[in-house]
Amino acid sequence: MLRRDQVIDVLKREMSDSVLEISELRSATIVSVDPRSLPRVSIALVALGARLRMMVASDERPWRACFSLYYIYAFDREGTNIIIHAPLDPDRPTAPSIVDLVRAVDWYELEARDLLGIEFEGRPPAPRFILPDDWPEGVYPLRKDVSVEQLRALYKPSPLEEARLLGAEEIVRIPIGPYHPALHEPEYFELYVRGEKVVGARYVGFMVHRGIEKLGESMKYDQVPFIAERICGICGFVHSTSYCQAVEDALGIEVPERAEFIRSLILEIERVHSHLLWFGVALHLLGYDTGFMHVWRIRERVMWLAELLTGSRKTYGLNVVGGVRRDIDRDRLDKARQVVKELRKEFAELVKITIDVPQVRARLRGTGYLSPGEAQVFAVVGPTARGSGIDIDVRKDFPYAGYKRIRPRVAVYSEGDNLARTLVRVDEVFESLDLIERFIDEMPGGAIRAEKIEYEPYRIGIGSVEAPRGEVIHMVITGSRTPYRWRVRAPTYQNLIAVPTMLRGVDLADAPLTIASIDPCFSCTDRAIVINVATGASRSVSLREIVRRRR
Amino acid sequence: MSFIKILGVALSRGRATIRYPLEPPLITPYFRGRIEIDPSKCVGCGACARICPPKAIEIVEQGDKLAIRYFVGRCIFCAMCFDVCPQSAIEVTKDFELASLTLEDLYDEVVHSRRRCSVCGEPYLTTKLVDRVLQSIAPELRERLEMCPRCRRESVMKVIARARIRYAEPVEGG
Amino acid sequence: MDLAKALSRLRRSLWVFHLNTGSCNGCDIEVLDALTPYFDVERFGIKLVASPRHADVALLTGPITAKTLPKVVKALQAMPRPRLVVAIGACAVGGGIWFDSYSVLGGFPQLERLLRGLGIEIDGVVYVPGCPARPEAIIYGITTLLGVTQQRIRKRVRSASG
Repeated sequence: MLRRDQVIDVLKREMSDSVLEISELRSATIVSVDPRSLPRVSIALVALGARLRMMVASDERPWRACFSLYYIYAFDREGTNIIIHAPLDPDRPTAPSIVDLVRAVDWYELEARDLLGIEFEGRPPAPRFILPDDWPEGVYPLRKDVSVEQLRALYKPSPLEEARLLGAEEIVRIPIGPYHPALHEPEYFELYVRGEKVVGARYVGFMVHRGIEKLGESMKYDQVPFIAERICGICGFVHSTSYCQAVEDALGIEVPERAEFIRSLILEIERVHSHLLWFGVALHLLGYDTGFMHVWRIRERVMWLAELLTGSRKTYGLNVVGGVRRDIDRDRLDKARQVVKELRKEFAELVKITIDVPQVRARLRGTGYLSPGEAQVFAVVGPTARGSGIDIDVRKDFPYAGYKRIRPRVAVYSEGDNLARTLVRVDEVFESLDLIERFIDEMPGGAIRAEKIEYEPYRIGIGSVEAPRGEVIHMVITGSRTPYRWRVRAPTYQNLIAVPTMLRGVDLADAPLTIASIDPCFSCTDRAIVINVATGASRSVSLREIVRRRR
Repeated sequence: MSFIKILGVALSRGRATIRYPLEPPLITPYFRGRIEIDPSKCVGCGACARICPPKAIEIVEQGDKLAIRYFVGRCIFCAMCFDVCPQSAIEVTKDFELASLTLEDLYDEVVHSRRRCSVCGEPYLTTKLVDRVLQSIAPELRERLEMCPRCRRESVMKVIARARIRYAEPVEGG
Repeated sequence: MDLAKALSRLRRSLWVFHLNTGSCNGCDIEVLDALTPYFDVERFGIKLVASPRHADVALLTGPITAKTLPKVVKALQAMPRPRLVVAIGACAVGGGIWFDSYSVLGGFPQLERLLRGLGIEIDGVVYVPGCPARPEAIIYGITTLLGVTQQRIRKRVRSASG
């Protein structure tokens, strides 16, 4: 019996008084329950091994006079989804917190509180999260009774330093910008150290919060892919594909096969450029700048190829709801095949003189350990999970686009250290190059775009894609002219929770590389928070000093 | 020492640098750069402004005039405007050398004259757009197109109201 | 202090500082690309420095989100005069696709106004459109700021002929 069916069975038999309604969506079973039963329902799901993919909170007062919470769980092995839906009181939206039962729900609850004003009982009060410290009380951006214009009138960004309360006396502030020491990302990690060992970490982020979800509610359906693609300048196409798939799922739109192949082809090209980017950065963090330069040299070919096939080096602008906007002719596909052949040769050569070097391996082996158990508890995704033996990949568990026909080989390593995560990505580059060739060879003919699309309101859809960093999942509730609700969850959001654990007991010198090993993408994570703090004595050091000291 | 091997790679590859701006840049024929609006073809319908995701193209009403204003500073080079223009008045160039020392220089306007409503005298659509539509619609509808949207609505309502009164009279033999 | 005078003060090659004000990283990666072998801005003598205190030019990306604003102001304040800024990308020049969102200031022009109110003067700006701004466009922007290349784009107002 499918585990999804087992869950439904348990709910019907033992919690029938809490179950309000069960219905089937195209890619999930949705069970509406009394919010007070959420803890019991969550236990049932966790006991059967469900993985929490995302939790979405939404203001549905104009639609059905309530606020709603949607907990999207998956059984990866069987490729099924269960959504637990809890309608909340429209005047005082509250729900019991389940963070003690499902660790991974932590940030979603904090976010729902910040952006929608939903209270979770049993949670200690927490400071502002995504929104700036001086954001006015009682103003919740994602509520339907306030517009973007009104929000702009209510709040003006201020140049005054945010007041911050700290537990420890001193903190090591490691500015994140693992791309290059001089590229300053606005986010940073605070590491709490005792001597040379890290005992805890805190991530201070949300600097890139741009109010995308609110904006999406006032944009036309075919304008949203452009905003989605700019969520992240490295894995943007993943987001525009996920959004389109969510709308297509909600409305039952048939995407022509050629469009699906084109999407997969471009997604794999994006994966190659992203992994090469990461690889160069990792080498730089190991002190191997020449390696960094050479990897980025061959990465340029991928950027050129992307421009040839889509019209832009990044922000390809190809996706629309129902397919793609531009076709790719045979000549260009042939050229792409040629470039892939060259890339494979060059990359193999580079791997031999970098990763296969004993000194490099020694730095990567045994550091930044994340056990399979912890990986499961934190529900991490992507190479971070596959480096700790968790065999999940959206392309094979919930096949989408061209992967419905062509299944990738998924690389899994069980050591759980920095080396394992590195090798996963190296293998993925080779696999992506193979996949690109196959998508080109087996590209079907036909249309590239679904013809007529009827936008029915209040349909729920999920779209998910395996990004270079892991699972990206979007949820859309349709409206008649624009999306009613659009929720984005990027992989780094999920993976960042694991970082403090990975940093435990690590030498300070290895900290930057350990953080970089999850391939953090902060623009995707514009709503993340990690509060997991241990105190200890420390001193102020800069990233460059750490990297330099190690050389 | 295995790090030496990379020298071999470096030597065999040679110089990879393209000495832009002394050498031409590596642009493909499909690159999307700045858009160019052809003022002779543009009719001021504003379809481009309505689809533009970052609102880089805006319809600016200035009394008797209407401008289609393109601010390349916020353009995301998606070419949706090119896709949607019914007159094919937009061309996508390969121009990316758009650096400017002033914000002003990043604006490009195509200015239209507007028609005035035959009833209330308020300016509404562009002369070019109205003239174009007038050519292709039935003669009995032309009068209405020479009105602004509000007056047009009112005139339609009056027709419906008159028709209603006629129906209220008893039908013969029924 | 006008731009020409400011530039004449710089007796050595440019030292640049990268400032991310909440960008998606698209432009930032292109800045980094400019440093890698294909484009190699180091042949112009451009050096990337870690601290704004050592910088002549700030390479600014992003629409300036509410949360980065305090740090951005501090960083620009820390730059010694002449302060030059290269606003890179649609977000920095015009606020980008989210210019009207509740959590962004909306691009460098808005920031400059705020800075002037705080007494922080910017001596020269060059705006580099693009989404992302490709490495050549960024290089063109810097060479235009330096007067090595001529700005090509000019404001145009054209009448729609019949």
